[in-house]
Amino acid sequence: MTISLIVNGAPQTVEITDGNTPLLWVVRDLLNLKGTKFGCGKAACGACTLHVDGEAIRSCSYPIKLAEGKTITTIEGLGNEQDPHPVQQAWIEEIVPQCGYCQPGFMMATAALLNIIPEPTDADIDQNIINVCRCATYYRMRKAIHRAAAIQKETTAKTKE
Amino acid sequence: MATNKKRISRRRFLVRGGLGTIGILAVGTYLFRSNIRRGLAGIANTADTPFMGNTKTPIIWFEVTKNNDLILHSPKVEMGQGTFTSLAQMAADELEVSMEQMRVVHANSSSGNIDSFATGGSTSVSALWVPLRELAATMREMIKTEAAKKMKASVTDLEISNGIVTAGSASMTYADIVQGVDDWDIPDTPPLKELKDYKFIGKPIPRVDLKDKVFGAPLFGMDASMPGMLYGAVVRPSTIGATFLGADTTKAEQMPGVVKIIKETDFVGVVANSQIEAENAKKKIKAHWKADKNWQTADIEELIAVGKGEAFVIQKEGGPNDFLEDATGLIQSEFKSPIGAHAQLEPNGALAFVEENKATIYMSTQVVSITRDEIADRLGFDNEQVNIVPTFLGGGFGRRLHTPNGIQAAVMSKAVGKPVKCFFTRKEEFQNDTFRPPTHHILKATLAENGLIEAIEHNVSSGDVAFGSPMVPSIAEPILGADLGAWRGGMIQYGAIPNYQAISWRVKLPFATSWWRSLGLLANTFAIESFIDELAVKAKKDPVEFRLAQIQDDDRGHRLKEVIKAAAKKAGWTNKVINERAMGFAASTDANTPCAQVVEVSIVDKEIKVHKVTCAMDPGIAVNPDQVRAQCEGAIIMGMSASMHEQMFVEDGQLQPTIYGPYQMALMKHAPKEIDVVLLQNSDVPGAVGEPPLGPIAAAVANAVFKLTGQRLREMPLKLA
Amino acid sequence: MKKRKNRYAFYLVLAVGFFVVANYGRYNTLEYIPISVTEATNTDTSFDKMMRVLTHERCVNCHPNDNIPKQGDNSHPHYFGMARGKTNMGFDATKCNTCHQSENDAYSGVPGAPEWSLAPAAMYWEGLTRIEIAESILDPKRNGGRTSEETMHHLTEHELVLWAWDPGVDANGVLREKPPVSKEDYIKAVKQWFAEGHRIPSE
Repeated sequence: MTISLIVNGAPQTVEITDGNTPLLWVVRDLLNLKGTKFGCGKAACGACTLHVDGEAIRSCSYPIKLAEGKTITTIEGLGNEQDPHPVQQAWIEEIVPQCGYCQPGFMMATAALLNIIPEPTDADIDQNIINVCRCATYYRMRKAIHRAAAIQKETTAKTKE
Repeated sequence: MATNKKRISRRRFLVRGGLGTIGILAVGTYLFRSNIRRGLAGIANTADTPFMGNTKTPIIWFEVTKNNDLILHSPKVEMGQGTFTSLAQMAADELEVSMEQMRVVHANSSSGNIDSFATGGSTSVSALWVPLRELAATMREMIKTEAAKKMKASVTDLEISNGIVTAGSASMTYADIVQGVDDWDIPDTPPLKELKDYKFIGKPIPRVDLKDKVFGAPLFGMDASMPGMLYGAVVRPSTIGATFLGADTTKAEQMPGVVKIIKETDFVGVVANSQIEAENAKKKIKAHWKADKNWQTADIEELIAVGKGEAFVIQKEGGPNDFLEDATGLIQSEFKSPIGAHAQLEPNGALAFVEENKATIYMSTQVVSITRDEIADRLGFDNEQVNIVPTFLGGGFGRRLHTPNGIQAAVMSKAVGKPVKCFFTRKEEFQNDTFRPPTHHILKATLAENGLIEAIEHNVSSGDVAFGSPMVPSIAEPILGADLGAWRGGMIQYGAIPNYQAISWRVKLPFATSWWRSLGLLANTFAIESFIDELAVKAKKDPVEFRLAQIQDDDRGHRLKEVIKAAAKKAGWTNKVINERAMGFAASTDANTPCAQVVEVSIVDKEIKVHKVTCAMDPGIAVNPDQVRAQCEGAIIMGMSASMHEQMFVEDGQLQPTIYGPYQMALMKHAPKEIDVVLLQNSDVPGAVGEPPLGPIAAAVANAVFKLTGQRLREMPLKLA
Repeated sequence: MKKRKNRYAFYLVLAVGFFVVANYGRYNTLEYIPISVTEATNTDTSFDKMMRVLTHERCVNCHPNDNIPKQGDNSHPHYFGMARGKTNMGFDATKCNTCHQSENDAYSGVPGAPEWSLAPAAMYWEGLTRIEIAESILDPKRNGGRTSEETMHHLTEHELVLWAWDPGVDANGVLREKPPVSKEDYIKAVKQWFAEGHRIPSE
């Protein structure tokens, strides 16, 4: 089976026998983008969260065959050191990560949240950010999410000027 | 610090090219302690562990790169606790380089710079506090000496800043200076700078791994890859006490992508071309297991009971028995904690490549040298033939102190002659964890006429924590008797009480139990500090005042009093319920670090809601105050998770549940919106940080709930009736 | 230890004995023999058959009487606090579709079907009797304004409804339980019930 998709802006063609292979393993092992993590393989922890057509998806429960023609963004494509996404910038400013393993999933979920709710309330955050962090960095994450919203607002305002 | 002149022995100086590195400064072994008994006694008393270096050569600590960056090869692993950043700060300050120039990598076992003990027990920074700074200072002096030669200047005329040595108008980078030098003079260990002169130590420097972690760099064991790598999957038991008998692999052999079925006496696995193919083939293996008993939760609860198993008095002062045996006015309470899972997000695994004469293993491990020795043993190699390349850990918490996964990957790689990566499924993580043992506590006390405690006794029954671990030699059992991990936090910290004792009851459980961040501290403090609160209520005293009145007047007592006062003050402590919110208080001393916490709690929709936590802690010198705060914040929420949500059950011989969700943990919505951390420094060395703040939280919450509802919650997870 | 075990065994015998005596009037034998589906359906009316499906957790789990989807054969609240949201599709950013796709996923055990979502709040069945469910599905105020003809088509053709007979495997790879009537019999029964005037028995 041949799957054509766009990953972090670049067109990719994937040859795969089992079309049910989770997108997670395609991204990690075939495309060698290791930022998207395996945590549970059961869509429970959120470590594998990435974006499919701009929406948060848990890639361990997303068969590759559904990705045909889709646009995928992983943590590597969200931003980089030269041009960080507001969420990444906020994560740096609040010094959020400890072990860091779950953080890409949280950042992707947060970026998806800010796409839909640019200035989320604490209740919005509680409902939408339901990934698992064992280091329990939730306290700083919440601060970082609010900060990311502020950075995004500032950036948007600047772009409009 | 040192009164005698000492000199760091030089093992080797290497010049290596091709990796952007121009020189590796290898300075010798530091503080090697062969006397394991002495080490153990230290651990048992104070939870202080010396840095246990290794005598194997060469030992590489620092590299200078062509870009004039400094690479520190850390003998301690980074699992989120921030050790790399603190070590970088310590090294940079003595080396006179900027933080931007400091890089920290995990020392490979072949570099020799590995700790023969472990990374754990909140000891990484404290154990390396003196050695690392002395090594850095020595290296700085060596570079200066060499610079003086090259620049034809006097050492005393040299000035250093940001890794650049200046003499008058001339200047050279460290990179220039070390180039081509193959004979170094090792000076006497120079005096260390004074604390006030440090530019980085004591400052909230951003984590050195921050950007890598934010931009998704492949840092973890799970992210390791090698060309031509295959994927392994091992069948693991789901039943407690299951012995592997053998397996029928006929169907698995027919599955697509299968390279080889691996049949060993102790496990069966499959190597395939992709992760999914390995997993699919594994499902077709019919493994046969033998288990003697169909264990249930009730069986475990029956085992874990004060009065059963072996008892060891671990602390005794005065004559508590005179007061507590059949005393009138005896106050007695029972507490329980459940089996806890590590639930770290990165599953255990390894990437191994075993060649004819050597093996390379990339993995997350807290015990680099033990992992190496075990793999070498299984492969029939010498230790030196096995190179463990430690990766960043996607959570440690004690879960990576046992590493049979490394052996399995190595065995499979050897069988196929290619690199093989293999890791646990989440279900296997939950069922093959090395759990935090369940505990049962009985506390007894009598109050004197003045309302203070006359006598108190803490009994804790627990499965093993430290014993049975490869880190703790079997000699420890007869020496110590009681499991030093199980009773961590189990002693009475109020030394002004005239009569007190603590008794540890040791129980062998049918499943593996071990280190879980803070070991016994969480459950022991929950029991003791809940009981202290009960006694304060009985004595009609303010719980904070009640505690302060019973702390002895020595250094340890002083530090404890100070954190208690600081927490109460910062939180605006009140014993009254205001606007349906109550405060709860608890304090603990772990590994010489006292910590006190005040929580603000209300009941929302019949659930306990923690709004705010104020935490005062005295870890001594906070090398990186921001990361000390981060550890407090994380430990508080992890402690809430463990004490308010988490619980493993034993059902029909299986540990359950096996997935996040059913294994309930604190999520974003459960985290307090406010965490206020106050750091004190009543000690002139850096002490333990990562675990102590886990102590008070459970009791503080339970004590607040009592004030609000009159319900004394005696079992974790804390749930309202 | 051994003595104690024997004592338990003794209690067990006593307890079982008591159970048998106490229930003698209701069961002829000690063992409960489940009635097989085919046997039962022979005597069922079309209403009975339909309702044995609609009251099954495969259906009721997503027709909750609150805003919380239920999961599993024991209908526990969906983990992680997932709830209806504004459009029955979950929260604004973390939606049902964050995890549930248009088909079941065998690797993760996450179920899926087109339009995976909760039934609208008005269409709640959880806690209702089968009479009440029948009244609900015929009430345009509660069935999304459908005529009985439309309701019949919805009940027999909608992919999310028919997912109940292809519920896939759970997180442990074990097949989920299907409703106790075959899909064909169910469709036949629904059509028959509507054709016969969708009468609700009084019971």
